[in-house]
Amino acid sequence: MKDLIFQRKKYFTRIGGFLFILFLLIAIFSHFIAPFQLRDRFDPFLPPGLKHLLGTNDIGNDLFTEFVYGSRTTLLVGLLTGAFAVSIGVLVGLFAGYHGGVIDELLMGITDVVLIIPRIPLIIVLSAFLRPSVGLMILVMSILWWTSTARIIRSRTMQIRSMGFVESARCLGFSSWHILFYEILPNIVMIIIPEFLITVASAMISEASLSFLGLGDPTLKSWGMMIHHAFQRGGFLNGMWWWYIPPGIGITLFVLSMVFLSFAFEETEIGIGEEVAIVPFNR
Amino acid sequence: MIELQNIFYEYSKGWPRKQHQIVLSDISVKLCMGKTFGLMGHSGTGKTTLGKIVVGLIKPYLGKISFHGKDISQLASPDWLFFRRKVQMLFQDPQGSLNPKKRIDASLRDILNITKIPFNQQKQAIEDVLKTVGLSTDFLLRYPAQLSGGQNQRISLARILLLKPEFIVLDEPTSALDISVQAQILFLLRELQKNHGLGYLFISHDPEVIQYMSHSIGILKDGNLDIIQEG
Repeated sequence: MKDLIFQRKKYFTRIGGFLFILFLLIAIFSHFIAPFQLRDRFDPFLPPGLKHLLGTNDIGNDLFTEFVYGSRTTLLVGLLTGAFAVSIGVLVGLFAGYHGGVIDELLMGITDVVLIIPRIPLIIVLSAFLRPSVGLMILVMSILWWTSTARIIRSRTMQIRSMGFVESARCLGFSSWHILFYEILPNIVMIIIPEFLITVASAMISEASLSFLGLGDPTLKSWGMMIHHAFQRGGFLNGMWWWYIPPGIGITLFVLSMVFLSFAFEETEIGIGEEVAIVPFNR
Repeated sequence: MIELQNIFYEYSKGWPRKQHQIVLSDISVKLCMGKTFGLMGHSGTGKTTLGKIVVGLIKPYLGKISFHGKDISQLASPDWLFFRRKVQMLFQDPQGSLNPKKRIDASLRDILNITKIPFNQQKQAIEDVLKTVGLSTDFLLRYPAQLSGGQNQRISLARILLLKPEFIVLDEPTSALDISVQAQILFLLRELQKNHGLGYLFISHDPEVIQYMSHSIGILKDGNLDIIQEG
């Protein structure tokens, strides 16, 4: 059983890690990797070839260049939303789980209210009324995406709160701040990382969905926006698969890398010198 | 001296109608520095609860606890901090008392940081305390899971000693250890008492251990404390 877990963890980590690093490098070094500038124009509707690896679109933009630059926006939205949302969720979960009582009820009450807000419809409404931008998308998703993290962190904190080392720390006179961030937090990192990865994946899919619906930032290229343009400007009708399939594959592979990495962290929680403990997989 | 006067404690559970179960009823006892009070009783009789009340981890439902004549529920912040450091508790589970994600070195340094010992003096302080509890500095870079129960219990004791306590509640400190290690820990505790004048509240199931360690002995039964040996 232990070997099986290690084997699965190893494969998930390798595949997920490889894809994650690959896309991250593409996003960071996009200006070196992209063969042309986004505004450069060539013959329209060119199929994939040696000069244009993914062909060109209806106005002659190189699609490989769009794909490479598009990764930057999509990853930026995913990673920033993941970082903000998980930070909020961790803070809320830690305070609610450790203090309990009125603080717990208040914070979990707020969590329940946020939980029932329909996310995508709200973003659609906000994007329709406000000027669509990446910043707005990140802000709204961060405010709405933290609830599941908060609930999971709260329950784990409640478990850890009653453990001997926390009681010992209280007895030794450590402050609540020290206990929360130096005693409890290191013990829930293995839960926070998968939460972050799943939130990143979820935010990326949402960004792509909104961009596909035409509610993304029109001034920035993203994978969702590429699919939107392919749909709007005849890419689908003319069977130009090289226009809409690559961004679709890009989104799928990056989300898959997030899911694989989160499996690797979620299935086993291994501390140095500790026995393997299987963490319940109940997302 | 720590004095417990008319301590009552009850657990309440159930919803919406709460059921109350009285665990400690009118407990009064004096715990002196340099002496050991042995506390026996069956499981679930409230021995650990009484220990936690003594160190201030939980508040009694009724009653008063005095430390050097001052009611601890009335202590102002600096006096409370003094009490918090001087009255400590050694828990039953040696490994569980230490953070599994921290090396021993970090666990010990945390204590030195809250006592504001300068960084350049911390190494010497750690070496001294490890020597006192009979461990070498080889253990410093290990995690609690890489140490035996006896070694972890010594580390927990070392953490407490860094605070220079006056009184320690020992909650079955040897029950999770094998016989030979038990004897070593008990001997160490007696030596520390002799050298530092520490007072103990020693909680155990084992009458022989209690007899060996204690000056006074009490038995908790049905919430009442019967003193069977006065020291």
